[in-house]
Amino acid sequence: MRHTSRTCAAIVARLLLFVAGSMIVFAQSTSQSGSKLPIKAALILTPEFCASEITNGEQFEVGRSACSELEPALKGVFASLTAMPEVPKTGDVKIILIPGFAGAGATRARIAFSDRELNVFLQWTVKDMSGKTLWIGTAQGSAKHHMGNMFTYKKNLRLIVNDAVKDLASQSANKISASPELRTFAQ
Amino acid sequence: MYSAAVKKLAVASTLFLLSLAFAESTFPDYPVRRAKECQVSAEKNGVIIGLASIEDPQAQKTYFQANFTKKGFIPILLVIENGTSEETFLFDKTKITYGAASAAVPPAHLGSEAGKALALSVIPFLGRLAAAQVLSTASHIRQNLLKKEIQSTTLSHGVSVQGFLYIPVPKKNTREKIAVRVPISKAGTDETFDLNLIF
Repeated sequence: MRHTSRTCAAIVARLLLFVAGSMIVFAQSTSQSGSKLPIKAALILTPEFCASEITNGEQFEVGRSACSELEPALKGVFASLTAMPEVPKTGDVKIILIPGFAGAGATRARIAFSDRELNVFLQWTVKDMSGKTLWIGTAQGSAKHHMGNMFTYKKNLRLIVNDAVKDLASQSANKISASPELRTFAQ
Repeated sequence: MYSAAVKKLAVASTLFLLSLAFAESTFPDYPVRRAKECQVSAEKNGVIIGLASIEDPQAQKTYFQANFTKKGFIPILLVIENGTSEETFLFDKTKITYGAASAAVPPAHLGSEAGKALALSVIPFLGRLAAAQVLSTASHIRQNLLKKEIQSTTLSHGVSVQGFLYIPVPKKNTREKIAVRVPISKAGTDETFDLNLIF
């Protein structure tokens, strides 16, 4: 009887520790994402960028996916963010964010149901309105999916590109948000 | 008798397919080093850059599973350190140029005849796509080349970055010395200076 109650106490203690730990992790992640850069930013998504395709043995339509994923991901980083097709001539924007693909590569799986990996690299250039570069960074997005057979290959290719670009957008937001140079400039 | 043979064949085929499905190549990481520990190094305005060329075919096989020399390339490791306590610098790999060292002159003399010769001889770095496709048809090897390549970055004070570039060279037994020019900018200014390395 005493042994059972000790076991129960140990389980409850571990559960409490786990819950407390999870709360600390949650608090840390919200505090990091919660502190937006207090500045108005413009995200430059040119038609050329949105039409970007990387051909490296296969054709990855990364631009179309990036143009739908980047803006929502970066909205959480800046107090104000507007996507536009070219650099604004006037207005109250303080910094401009220019993305450019720096490459992509995928492994090829030998059989249809085995996973393959796609990596996409995006170079960011952040400038002030006078054209001076404040920050440069490269984000890497990765995803894994089945290669697929001759009937499912195209669908799987679309899935792996979308997932890699989603990861790329999230990694970009983390990198830009963590930049001490941009935090200093924004204040 | 017949059914036993079929069963064995089925098991062997399944094992073979599973081994194909889960087979993954691993590539060891090249050892991390300081810029000044590299084969050649240069320093300017508190930024230190080191270059190490990996010309030994055995080392190329170990880290890349590729024979660069045979394909007319050299992998070079670049290590860039911001040794200042306050400044922030920008490294943009798309601005790197290289060329024959015999043509290299300081950029201050670009107006001179020798300068014009350099301007014609230096070639912007093309990046992994050109190199990787020539070096190997195997996707996992190309992927490794991609992951190991140096990336553009901001060098806050005390920060360093390292990675590879794959420089094309003529497929000869003895090669000419090569000059690599790495422009570095001061963040938030128009100031840019070059770090030149010859190997």
